[in-house]
Amino acid sequence: MAYFEVNGVSKSFGSNRVLRGVDFSMEKGEVVSIIGSSGSGKTTLLRCITQLEQADEGRILVEGEPVFDAAETKRLSKEEKRRRQLNFGLVFQQFNLFPQYSVLDNLMLAPRLRAKKEPDFSKRREELLAEIKEKARAILEQVGLTEKAKQYPCELSGGQQQRVAIARALMLSPKILCFDEPTSALDPELTGEVLQVLKNLAKEHITMMIVTHEMKFAREVSDKVVFMADGVIAEEGDPETLFQNPRSPRLKAFLANTTL
Amino acid sequence: MAEFWSSLVAFFERLSGQFPIVFQALNSGFLQTLKLFAVTLLGAIPLGLIIAFGSMSRFAPLKGLTRFVVWIVRGSPLMIQLLIVYYFPGMVLKNNWWGSGETGRFLAASFAFIINYACYFSEIYRSGIQAVPVGQQEAGQVLGLTGGQIFFRVKLLQMIKHIVPPMTNEIITLVKDTSLARIIALQEVIWAGQAFMKGRSGISGELWPLFFTAVYYLVFSGLLTVLFSRLEKKLSYFRT
Repeated sequence: MAYFEVNGVSKSFGSNRVLRGVDFSMEKGEVVSIIGSSGSGKTTLLRCITQLEQADEGRILVEGEPVFDAAETKRLSKEEKRRRQLNFGLVFQQFNLFPQYSVLDNLMLAPRLRAKKEPDFSKRREELLAEIKEKARAILEQVGLTEKAKQYPCELSGGQQQRVAIARALMLSPKILCFDEPTSALDPELTGEVLQVLKNLAKEHITMMIVTHEMKFAREVSDKVVFMADGVIAEEGDPETLFQNPRSPRLKAFLANTTL
Repeated sequence: MAEFWSSLVAFFERLSGQFPIVFQALNSGFLQTLKLFAVTLLGAIPLGLIIAFGSMSRFAPLKGLTRFVVWIVRGSPLMIQLLIVYYFPGMVLKNNWWGSGETGRFLAASFAFIINYACYFSEIYRSGIQAVPVGQQEAGQVLGLTGGQIFFRVKLLQMIKHIVPPMTNEIITLVKDTSLARIIALQEVIWAGQAFMKGRSGISGELWPLFFTAVYYLVFSGLLTVLFSRLEKKLSYFRT
């Protein structure tokens, strides 16, 4: 049994069948990069996994537990859906930080609201909130932004904003952290600092799934690379094999058009 | 030249004699203006939100109906709307449910103003709601926030920031639009000023009290401008 499994996930928008039965699995602590040309379904797959979209068919399992099942989602309570969704974290291409909150408050908003659901919240209020603050400071340090804690997103560079977004996602300790083209909205000179944070997370064996166009990065950091085309996984394997000896003509063509 | 000065002095002598009486009358007229202004805001600010949700409804008939009403209300003169609201019940239905006298006129004017301004506000709200990027909703969702938490903790302040400048505009327009209630003889400040032309409290044929009413509007809209620019400044610490 794999740590994380996607079985037969399909998704259509109107008559456009974007995902056509995706099967995929990964182990705890692995880093998987998903590559492919635009329109191949990479982002939709990520959105189905993080449940921003509901897949039409298929199942998603974490540690053998179903976190999504197209056959039964209608019966779940909203709170149960949220609980399952929190198995995953998502870092967006456009960062999507909350502009009215400081960096520290961006990190603490969701954990604080979740903490209110703890049965002993009223008794341990101070303690729980202090724990969250401590965790936020530790994670900020991890992404190298300790001195920016009190600043607002609009005062930060794109690279710094994306590092805050990563920190915000880490706050809820997701089992699998997903990235949707995390450096695509950044100026080229700012991608390095974000990729460095991802490399550090990989060293700490955070399980990550990264949709990316950064082939060099995918090759260096990933344990496995998945190539998507036309809504299915066309080829997958360890980065060296996949980049050196692509089997399918689609992947050969894709790599020929991509600068490494 | 000497003639000019003497007539000017004579005018100011007359004016200073009349001023206390006129000032008192205009003050009580302006109180009515303020009441209409306040009641309109109290009614139209929440009603506008309901209309905004109606015009964004996924239920097509509701959306169509709401947008039709908004078109009628925004597309026709407020003065005509006031006349219709005030006279329709009595003249057509033979039942003047507004009641008689100043109270009746105030009720009818309030009704017309609330409906009219709610429609304008609804469009401002709609633009504010649609200006918040969908990514904010999605970021809240993946962080496990509930729908209510996303609205109140994430989106609301961003919406308010978006709508403060157009709302300021609309609210300052409302200050001056209250004068339209003169058409149904509501005794607001213009009515009070005009009364001194026809004759009131021993003063007649005087035009200056009517002109002087503009000072009230200027002072009040000046205050509002200061107030709203403070609010705008307060919200300028973040950018969306």
